[in-house]
Amino acid sequence: MSETILDLQDVTLRFGGLVAVDGVSMDVRQGEIRALIGPNGAGKSTIFNLVTGVYRPNQGTIRFGERSLNGVPPHRLAGLGIARTFQNIRLFSSLSLMENVLIGAHSRGRSGLAGAVFRLPPFRQEEENLSLQAWEALAFMGLDQKAGELAKNLPYGEQRRLEIARALVSQPRLLLLDEPAAGMNPQEKSALMETIRRIRDTGITVFLIEHDMRVVMGISDRVAVLNYGKKIADGLPAEVREDAGVIEAYLGTGGKRERRRTRPVVALPQVALEGGAGHAGN
Amino acid sequence: MSTVDNSVSGAVPGAPAPRRQPAWLKLWPVQALLFLALLVAVWAVTEALNLVIPAYQGQILLFTGINVIITLGLNLITGVTGQLSLGHAAFMAIGAYAAAICTVSLHLPFALALLLGGLVAALFGVVLGFPTLRLSGDYLAIATLGFAEIVRVVNTNLKITNGAIGYYGIQKRVDLPLVAMLAVAAVAAMAWLENSRNGRAMRSVREDEIAATASGVNTTFYKIQAFAVGAFFAGVGGGLYAHTTTFIQPTDFGFLKSVEQLSMVVLGGMGSIAGTVLGTIVLTAAPELLRFMSNYRMLVYGATLIVLMIFRPGGLLGGVDLRDAVRRALMLGRSRTVRTSVGGDGQ
Repeated sequence: MSETILDLQDVTLRFGGLVAVDGVSMDVRQGEIRALIGPNGAGKSTIFNLVTGVYRPNQGTIRFGERSLNGVPPHRLAGLGIARTFQNIRLFSSLSLMENVLIGAHSRGRSGLAGAVFRLPPFRQEEENLSLQAWEALAFMGLDQKAGELAKNLPYGEQRRLEIARALVSQPRLLLLDEPAAGMNPQEKSALMETIRRIRDTGITVFLIEHDMRVVMGISDRVAVLNYGKKIADGLPAEVREDAGVIEAYLGTGGKRERRRTRPVVALPQVALEGGAGHAGN
Repeated sequence: MSTVDNSVSGAVPGAPAPRRQPAWLKLWPVQALLFLALLVAVWAVTEALNLVIPAYQGQILLFTGINVIITLGLNLITGVTGQLSLGHAAFMAIGAYAAAICTVSLHLPFALALLLGGLVAALFGVVLGFPTLRLSGDYLAIATLGFAEIVRVVNTNLKITNGAIGYYGIQKRVDLPLVAMLAVAAVAAMAWLENSRNGRAMRSVREDEIAATASGVNTTFYKIQAFAVGAFFAGVGGGLYAHTTTFIQPTDFGFLKSVEQLSMVVLGGMGSIAGTVLGTIVLTAAPELLRFMSNYRMLVYGATLIVLMIFRPGGLLGGVDLRDAVRRALMLGRSRTVRTSVGGDGQ
């Protein structure tokens, strides 16, 4: 087994009386595609926010490689090698695609105020390198032809791709994708799955949250399931799919159905049980 | 959907061809010399202009130049970094008093006094930046407003500023060529700053702080930097102002002054350097041009502002890519934002 790149040990986060994340332990291994699934409100995005330093855990430790992430300010993480996308797309919408990606490369640059105002040779060299890297990232996501357009003018699917390009340009070791397939049509989804595999093949470890079971079961090496802030299952996609606790979390049990009806999980179980089988074979 | 597939290769097919420039033009010393030559040209032109135009018009031009330097600073804070400031005149006041005290009491050379005025203002920009970092939007605006009032009251009561009587005895050291050169240098410095790693970081703070942080931008640092640089410009402008009027008093830098400066930036188009310059020219010249209306002057001035904001809510040059517009106007090659609707991708 390859080494662990991200390690959560007994992580707990409380908001007042609400326990959003409850003693979760999980790991992400170098070079894999790791998925985190669960019903709405299970605490998936909160886990991402804990890893990226938006929240600090009340309990437990988060390690990235050898380094503890407790107390590391959020803006340092890009430099350490963690990049992320957001569930509700967060682009710099009135800037061009190129500028969006250049800002993503911020942590790769060093130049400061003096370099900017006096345009000294080291500054120019760096700008040249950064814009080349930005072009590569845009080309990797198939957006290089639109580099000069404003981010807000892109169709939805391309905005999602731009967010990934912005994350990739920082040359992360670990890429966190928060529901990358949300709102995509089937073709876009399969293109996305292909893209995620390509990203993994460049040596970047991918950790994703996803609702779409076809996507999750199709590309993930290992899947963890979260419900009410607790981890209820963890393992290979095929194992997780068969897990009684997971099925209950998504479907509810016969007798308790009345109570669980309000849970806003739709369309997942069918895909999980039927559609997923076709993809498990690869 | 002609996407995704064509970009698998690691090559960069879409990368722009490097601009065709002779190699010697790219050398740093050559470009520095060219810039100096530009400044000399500006000096020569304005020197000649100074001889031709009447003193009154010259004075308006001079104040326009000073205001451009100041509003460029405000544009960096509010337009580029998105931090609404209603107290920019306070930085101008600090620069004006500091520079005046430097030349009058300390007998320092004028150039050094200008620089010190700017630096002292920048220091106060940092001082204001720290406590107000947690604030945003309306709350920040109120805090900057409070700061400006504090500065005004302190200037009214300090001995060193000669209190409410005002600080007089400043030598007139400013002429049109000097202001023109500094204004051109300020525009250039701002353009360079905005088009750099620092400038992009500042714009990312305006656009989305959470995404900026995730991209590795230390939003706190760049907010303070924007305040410091913006205050520096205001401070230098204040120093120039003091050495133009030869007399300054705390009420010169009140709330109305801050609002006037903000109006210039907003009218021109927030975040646009060309817009800020245009807005400043219009709003500095307009009250003078409307002088023939005597009593109705400020009424027309206000009405003009309202009409302009109704028809151009983003400002005169808001959302206009100048380079692109010029290229399109001259029909030079293809514009940057050409809409290539390949394969019905356009929503």
